Amino acid sequence: METIVNKPLANTFGWLNVNGTKVNAPDKMQQQEYELEEGAERTIIADFAAGSRISAKLGRNATLRLVQIRRGKEEDTAAAAGNLSEGGLKGADGTAVNDVRVKCSEGARFEWYRIVLGGEATYDNCTVELEGDRSSFEAQIGYRLGGEQVLDVNCEAIHTGKKTDSVINASGVLSEKASKLMRGTIDLRKGCKGAVGNELEDVLLMDRTVRNRSIPVILCSEEDVVGNHGATIGRLDEDMIFYLASRGMETEAIYEMMAKAKLDSVIRRIPDEEVRRGLLEE
Amino acid sequence: MAEEKTFVDDIDRSRYDFRNEDGESFKVEEGLTPAIVEQISREKNDPEWMREFRLHSLEVYNNTSMPDWGPSIEGLDMDNIVTYVRPHTKMSASWDEVPEEIKDTFERLGIPQAERESLAGVGAQYDSELVYHNVREEVAAKGVIYTDLESALHGERAQMIREHFMKLVPPTDHKFAALHGAVWSGGSFVYVPPGVSVEIPLQSYFRLNSPGAGQFEHTLIIVDEGAYLHFIEGCSAPKYNVANLHAGCVELFVGKNATLRYSTIENWSKNMYNLNTKRALVEEGAKVEWVSGSFGSHVSYLYPMSVLAGRGARSEFTGVTFAGAGQNLDTGCKVVHNAPDTSSYVNTRSISKSGGISTFRSAVVVNEKAKNSKSAVSCQSLMIDDVSRSDTIPAMDIRTDKADIGHEARIGRISDDAVFYLMSRGVSEEEARALIVSGFAENVSKELPLEYAVEMNNLIRIEMKGAIG
Repeated sequence: METIVNKPLANTFGWLNVNGTKVNAPDKMQQQEYELEEGAERTIIADFAAGSRISAKLGRNATLRLVQIRRGKEEDTAAAAGNLSEGGLKGADGTAVNDVRVKCSEGARFEWYRIVLGGEATYDNCTVELEGDRSSFEAQIGYRLGGEQVLDVNCEAIHTGKKTDSVINASGVLSEKASKLMRGTIDLRKGCKGAVGNELEDVLLMDRTVRNRSIPVILCSEEDVVGNHGATIGRLDEDMIFYLASRGMETEAIYEMMAKAKLDSVIRRIPDEEVRRGLLEE
Repeated sequence: MAEEKTFVDDIDRSRYDFRNEDGESFKVEEGLTPAIVEQISREKNDPEWMREFRLHSLEVYNNTSMPDWGPSIEGLDMDNIVTYVRPHTKMSASWDEVPEEIKDTFERLGIPQAERESLAGVGAQYDSELVYHNVREEVAAKGVIYTDLESALHGERAQMIREHFMKLVPPTDHKFAALHGAVWSGGSFVYVPPGVSVEIPLQSYFRLNSPGAGQFEHTLIIVDEGAYLHFIEGCSAPKYNVANLHAGCVELFVGKNATLRYSTIENWSKNMYNLNTKRALVEEGAKVEWVSGSFGSHVSYLYPMSVLAGRGARSEFTGVTFAGAGQNLDTGCKVVHNAPDTSSYVNTRSISKSGGISTFRSAVVVNEKAKNSKSAVSCQSLMIDDVSRSDTIPAMDIRTDKADIGHEARIGRISDDAVFYLMSRGVSEEEARALIVSGFAENVSKELPLEYAVEMNNLIRIEMKGAIG
């Protein structure tokens, strides 16, 4: 079924073709709903999942950690066979569609860890509404894409509660003909006094045929807030390459080391030790 | 004692908000039809190719949809817009020959005085036509051409105009580029020969006096190899209760190793829809510098674009936007890196107050051929109160690995740390905040010639008073 996914909260120039993405999504979407009571804590690991539609309501001071990892072809096969522990969605053309929507009450916290290592095409949406005062959201997105892989992300932090806090951090590596589109939106709405939103993106480009698109958006209709965004996109710093080369490292090895370091910086934040160790050893 | 919040005054528009009766002007009917476009073409004595170009543009306009990504322009009804208003005078090279009330208009705007003191040439447009155009003899003697576009269209440079007119911004670019192609009138043509440096700026000033009218001037500048030019553009209008429209077009061709600085102080009235298009083609080793101050209009769509087409081409954009009550100003810039070793630098500030909406919108595209290109974008927004809005919507599309792209954005209120630092040096809190707000827009004013910097500082007459909440 052809549908538009990843529509951002604010559109930009039409010719950039980033105001939503047309995909061939599965006809039937699997749904998981979570409701965490006051003070509850839960970690969900969706390893090998091709994608899913998840919605969650977090009660007062509850914490939900969602770890979603997308790997390579084995996972696509598993998804097609319906062997996924947390459910998976896979389009007719092999695309994975992932949609996460979370509402946070007072003091609640949602952490989203998204690691994309493979799969033909991955479309991720994560929308978090920070409704309760002092609620918080942290997104850690790491990816390493090669071949003709596609990653298309729309991540939104909507601040309505006072003193809410959001961090969107995306770090990854693109090589060969890989393509990535990262839309990150911090929406500081009227009434969210004292809110802080930070977004950081770091992309290492390894080949001349890659394509990186970044749309870091800050929307603000409240005075007493801070929204920051920073992005670094491109190749490795020449001085650093020179330094490491002068210490005897081959250029290729330097790039490989730095690519691994970029992804590892996200993986190390994953709260589950087994998953973390597994990914670091891969 | 009740605390009083920081107060930033609206821009004082009294200097610009005066009007003349336009009873003696010639006007076409309201709306947009092939007959009206034909009439404008006849009135302007267009060559045949231009008549056909206008009609083709009208077709494109009718087949192009409205933009679906920016501020609402629902209040703009083309059926109510008069697209051509000719003042009751011909263009002159002497202010003495300009009708008294029009001359008085430009006197009050300070244009003749600026011409005497600090400009190499001036063009003054009133509604749809230029009423004054002049360039200093010593500048003309260097081979610099500065004239109205219509004269150029029929003069020695007619072929040059035909080769460049709406080639950078084709009518198919967007709906209002097509509108411009159909009904354009007025504007300036500048040609700077190879190696010539125009040391003092040229200025065109656009004044829209007629209520419910549109202004569609076309500015075409060609700076040849190794030449230098600073061009200043100013615009204003009195405020009416009906919508006015400005859909101008600026095309800049910056030749090999040439430099063009294009400065704009835009102060349209708050009933104006400012849907302007500006674009520069920058050749090998050349540089375009945009300095842009956006203070007026009800709604603005304004994103000067630099196409870096030659190796080592450079672009700098420095902008400030001040959105007050009733204003929705969507401004920013676009850069396309199409050649190796190109670089771009974008530095903007925006201030929102009293319910005003300011949006910074940008696009940086680095294509496959643009190896070793660099781009840095920095945008900062200041929220003065909690009834206003400030959005930052940048985009980067990078298609090569050999590039260094940096972007930083910040939205917030006046920094408490900065206030604390200044207070620790003996400055009162009130003064400290006033100092910070004033300095916020300095990135643009310091890029302007002194007279214009003073003018801009007058525009942003910022007052701080009371204890700060």
